[in-house]
Amino acid sequence: MIYGKIWLVVKPTVGIPLFLGAVAVSSFLVHYMLLTHTTWLPAYYEGHAKKTASIEAPVDTAAGPPTTLVAVAPQK
Amino acid sequence: MAEMKSDPNKVWPTGLTEPEAEEVHRHLIQGTQIFGFIAVLAHLFAYIYSPWLK
Repeated sequence: MIYGKIWLVVKPTVGIPLFLGAVAVSSFLVHYMLLTHTTWLPAYYEGHAKKTASIEAPVDTAAGPPTTLVAVAPQK
Repeated sequence: MAEMKSDPNKVWPTGLTEPEAEEVHRHLIQGTQIFGFIAVLAHLFAYIYSPWLK
C-alpha cells in the first residue's frame, strides 16, 4: 500500500496517536467554531428549531359544526 | 539491542520489518475509511434534520 513504509521511520506508538489526535483536535475545533460563530447552531441546540407554520400564522378553528339540536332537560 | 538487530529484515529507527509496516498502514487506512464513512453518514443526517445550510 502506498506510503506504508512511513512506519519504518516513524514509530507507530508516536505516529498513530499523533494522527488520531490531529483528527480529533481539528474536527473538535471546526464544530466548536460553528457553535460559537453561528446563530443557528446554538439556537438549534437550545431547542429553538424552525418556527412551525401554526406559530407563524395561527388559524382559527371552529369548536364544532353548527347544529339545530337543543339540549332539553329530562321531564320528571 | 544486539538481539533485535540480528533480524536482517528489520528497518531502523523503528525496528519494524517492511511487511509489519505495511500491516500497520493497512489497519490505519481501514480505520480511516470506516471513520470517514460514519462521518459522511452523520453529516448527511445533520444536513437533513438540522438547520445546517438551510
